Amino acid sequence: MSTARRSGLALALLALVVTVAPLAAPHDPARQFSRFPYAPPMRPHLFDDEWHAHAPFAYALRVIDPLERRYEEDRSRRLAIRDDQPVFLLGSDGFGRDVLSRTLAGARLSLGVAFAATGIALSLAALLGALAGYAGGRLDAAITRFAEFVLVLPAIYVALALRGSLPLVLSSGQVFATLAVVFGAIGWPATARGVRGIIHVERRQEYAEAAYAIGASPWRVIVRHLLPSTFGFLAVQAIVLVPAFVLAEATLSLVGFGFAPPVASWGTMIEEVGTGAAAADAPWLLAPVVGMMLTIVVLQVGSMSKSRLRDRK
Amino acid sequence: MVRRIAAVLVLSAAIAACGGRSEDRPPANASVPVRGGSLVASLRSEPATFNRLVNGGNSSATDAITELTQATLVRVNRVTGTIEPALAERWSVSPDGRTFTLSLRKGVTFSDGVPLSADDVLFSFAVVYDPKVASVLAASLEVRNKPLRVTAPDSETVVITLPAPFAPGLALLDNLPILPKHQLEAAYAAGKFQDAWNVSTPPGSMAGLGPFVLTGYEPGQRLTFTRNPHYWRRDASGIQLPYLDSISMEIVASQDAELLRMQAGSIDLMTQADLRPQDYASLKRLAQGDGAVHLTELGPAVDANMLWFNLTRAAASRPGKSFVQRAEFRQAISYAVDRDAIVSSVYLGAATPIDGPVTPGNRTWYSDRAPKYPYDVARATALLAAIGLVDRNGDGMLEDASGARVRFTILTQANHIRGRVVTVLQEQLRQVGIAVDIAALDPRSMFQRFAAGDYDAMYYGFQASSLDPANNLDFWLSSGSAHVWNAGQTQPATPWERQIDDLMQQQMAAASLTERQRLFADVQRVFGENLPAICFVAPNVAIATSARVGGAQPALLDPKVLWASDQLFLIR
Amino acid sequence: MPALSSSFIARRILAAAALVFVVSSAALALADLAPGDYVTATIGGDPAVAAAERQRLHLDRPFAERYRHWIGRALTMDLGESFQYRRPVLGLVRERAGNTAMLALAALILATLLGIPAGIVSGSGGGIAARVIRITSLVLLAMPPLVTSFVLLTIAARTRWLPIAGMGGITHLVVPALSLALPLAAMLERLQSEAISDALERTHILAAAARGIPRRRLVWHHAWRVSLGPLLGVYGVVIGSLFSGSFVVEVIASWPGLASLMRDALMTRDAPLVAGCSAAGAVFLAAGVLVADLAHAALDPRVGAPGA
Repeated sequence: MSTARRSGLALALLALVVTVAPLAAPHDPARQFSRFPYAPPMRPHLFDDEWHAHAPFAYALRVIDPLERRYEEDRSRRLAIRDDQPVFLLGSDGFGRDVLSRTLAGARLSLGVAFAATGIALSLAALLGALAGYAGGRLDAAITRFAEFVLVLPAIYVALALRGSLPLVLSSGQVFATLAVVFGAIGWPATARGVRGIIHVERRQEYAEAAYAIGASPWRVIVRHLLPSTFGFLAVQAIVLVPAFVLAEATLSLVGFGFAPPVASWGTMIEEVGTGAAAADAPWLLAPVVGMMLTIVVLQVGSMSKSRLRDRK
Repeated sequence: MVRRIAAVLVLSAAIAACGGRSEDRPPANASVPVRGGSLVASLRSEPATFNRLVNGGNSSATDAITELTQATLVRVNRVTGTIEPALAERWSVSPDGRTFTLSLRKGVTFSDGVPLSADDVLFSFAVVYDPKVASVLAASLEVRNKPLRVTAPDSETVVITLPAPFAPGLALLDNLPILPKHQLEAAYAAGKFQDAWNVSTPPGSMAGLGPFVLTGYEPGQRLTFTRNPHYWRRDASGIQLPYLDSISMEIVASQDAELLRMQAGSIDLMTQADLRPQDYASLKRLAQGDGAVHLTELGPAVDANMLWFNLTRAAASRPGKSFVQRAEFRQAISYAVDRDAIVSSVYLGAATPIDGPVTPGNRTWYSDRAPKYPYDVARATALLAAIGLVDRNGDGMLEDASGARVRFTILTQANHIRGRVVTVLQEQLRQVGIAVDIAALDPRSMFQRFAAGDYDAMYYGFQASSLDPANNLDFWLSSGSAHVWNAGQTQPATPWERQIDDLMQQQMAAASLTERQRLFADVQRVFGENLPAICFVAPNVAIATSARVGGAQPALLDPKVLWASDQLFLIR
Repeated sequence: MPALSSSFIARRILAAAALVFVVSSAALALADLAPGDYVTATIGGDPAVAAAERQRLHLDRPFAERYRHWIGRALTMDLGESFQYRRPVLGLVRERAGNTAMLALAALILATLLGIPAGIVSGSGGGIAARVIRITSLVLLAMPPLVTSFVLLTIAARTRWLPIAGMGGITHLVVPALSLALPLAAMLERLQSEAISDALERTHILAAAARGIPRRRLVWHHAWRVSLGPLLGVYGVVIGSLFSGSFVVEVIASWPGLASLMRDALMTRDAPLVAGCSAAGAVFLAAGVLVADLAHAALDPRVGAPGA
């Protein structure tokens, strides 16, 4: 399989998983089984101890000591894997909510925000970085200084002031849009500097000079010839930015900018792990981290297609 | 309930706040105290000042530092609740109970060797009442907004007169550290008291009457306290206290890091001592394993978080939220919440369901006669239906008469256990058809929304600084600044608030404890019937100390262990 | 190198000063725009105390007036006094910046030593080593810093090999520096790897290969040099951000640095401290970027230093 095919397939698969997965969630992600906080993952079975076959089921949990989070499997009670039963294939969180369902539901929101923001940030970076690198001189200096300003102004300060001017309650849609735009608007400068560095060198390469010579407009030279040489770099930046944006949502929840409960997002799920040294006692809470790893592996595979793009120049 | 004063004010006759504590090992203080050695405590925040009187002095860090380095005229024992002699060795009371004549202990000197005299006491009172100083302690030393009258007939006697009858009496004095006049007079005279004893003041230069002297401060790192060689208290066998040579306080902002350090044995006790429920398990394992950690369970906390509603006049006129003003609605919410669900999930079982702001942890003042709100969905639904909130379109959610969905906002603190409780409330109220939006903000944004009245309900809590209701008037009285659902009223807005006002005035001046308890039980009943604020659970307090800590007398109020730092000793 | 003339440096320093000024002004304005103020530390406090405190701190004056006052003092290098610590901001920031710089330098060296060689290996060939490096990087990038720090801290606590918190000897530096360095190393590895593989496809290197220059020499000599551009572009920013500190690592490791001071200042609306911390961040960023640009110009004479 060619790299291009492989990457296209990988990205399509990711999109499919993210959109379809929540439908496969065994529970309503907000549903709290309050008697089962931090329940460990339960194994699904098809056969009971006497080797009788059943519809997929799990053995019920018995709480031994909630404070010490000790549970015991009750082999005498079978629970069907259904919405109304406390069956947690990936364990439960501190509210007794199903981690699997929340991870699946959170994927759409968190990855949605992260990808949208990455798209905005990389577009801005490519545009501004290319302009700076190509034009040089005053425009270069102005863009570079502006990038530095955006970089150094602490985003959380901006978020805090912005949150104060917004209504008390924000819908998930509003949060989604605000986060994507804010992250995109603050995420571009580092990448723009890299793009600028590449374009600065590339525009003196023979092929660019040649394009000029045959009368191509500067815009055409940038878009058709110079920008493709930054795709590899941009792909690496995407791998860095996507997880960073997922986590940034958790940071901004500190100033009231995250998704409000009971909405599941990876950022808030990870934030909850961090507040409790819980990772040691309940490692399954790190499920969204695994999700993030899978995502960037897919991205990495996808980015290998860059050579195809560069071939066009 | 409001953190203003760092003292327990309980009548001397009162019973211990925490009698029923259970321990999983014989108490460490069974062994014989030895002089010498040092212990390490953790502190979660950096002090903003070393001056307890000024703004910022009411932070938990400065409070703890003051507890170690300063002393008061009398001390309220945090465990037994009795008033104990401190700098004042004995006192007599006038027949009307308003004038106290205190004799200062003889031979007491500040840590720099300068003798204590009544002038220091007069100076301390003068400073704390000075409007230019605007001391954070002033309100806690007033009775009915009037200062105490303090005179000194001679250098060893102080006469204190209360401006009005006040049942807690002398316990008030536990709030005021007696400052060294010889050190602070110049700054005060120059109008610079606000800046005196700030964090750049060289440690070691500040004189005090407490068991320890602050001798080192590395910002962001640690505070070091060394034995005060002139400390005046001796133990029963005549050994001069404190037992310890030194205490160091490591500044550890993250509670996760604090826990790790406790596990690793690099700290012995926590200044803000109570454990989070989720940390309990790992420490329990340590306690049962090699016994490196000692867990003490103190039962339900005395400070409860509460869900209060915006009952101000401005809020009453807001469209679509008028149901919040109905007592039936608030009662329905109290019935609709399964408190055990909060206990078992958010607190992992380590909490006690409660129905009112006075918790069973406050043994002297808790009333069993206040209304109870057991989990009862049918009753909640009936109450809601009675005020016209029913499911009109079959979507499972309630609508009011105009067809608008019953929906309200709970304002709370982001990244805090309070936010977790609200997440459970939201899910529970959804079961009875009430939609809740959660707005979790950082503390100051939250306070601003509160001040602007931009909320329907709020879930927040106050750290108990006093168990005696007479010291929490700002919460109970309709004119109080902490009467959170409708603060600072000129006239009581409702008949029941007027009734509580009257009862509180009576109970504050009543002579006997039983009379006061009876009156306060009435207050709790009226409060519970009208429910301007709903309480759900009180966390159970567990305190961890390392096996090296001896002589600890853990109490429910902060600083839970360090309040009796002079009697801590090292178990080698 | 004409790009490195003294006038260029002078212009850059001027630009840096402007950046510091603009950023700290903006931070001051944002602190003012943020809801609530320093005095509102709780609900139900004594209104008289709050009013007196506002007056003392001039918080009862309009922002424009306070800002004029602040500029007047800032021009003489006096950044005012922190509300909460009642100490000059400059001293506070300098103290914390020193701590942060120490940590940042250690992390930077560690990250460079780990990331760059790993990137060259993974970018210049296939094989098991490249694959392992690539996977490790992806894992590290996806790990939340909180979890990474916590894992390292737990290892240190369990094994008792290293002190787990606070400042002291060089051993105290290991855990926080590593927590900062690992994700950074992963990023550098990815960038370097990409740049190398990219450079290896370039025509002039292909030509060199055709001339029979050994691959190893190609990688280490030619491709490495070509790949510097984008890497250094990002590097400058990285230096700047490292020196502004990492909140998570500082809090977890009890390392009293700039980032926790900055967060603290913001949460308490300590406006002068907010401005001071932002100014320090701007200084570090400007310095980091300048160093990276100079290094780039020195290593690769084809480029002029940017922004010149």
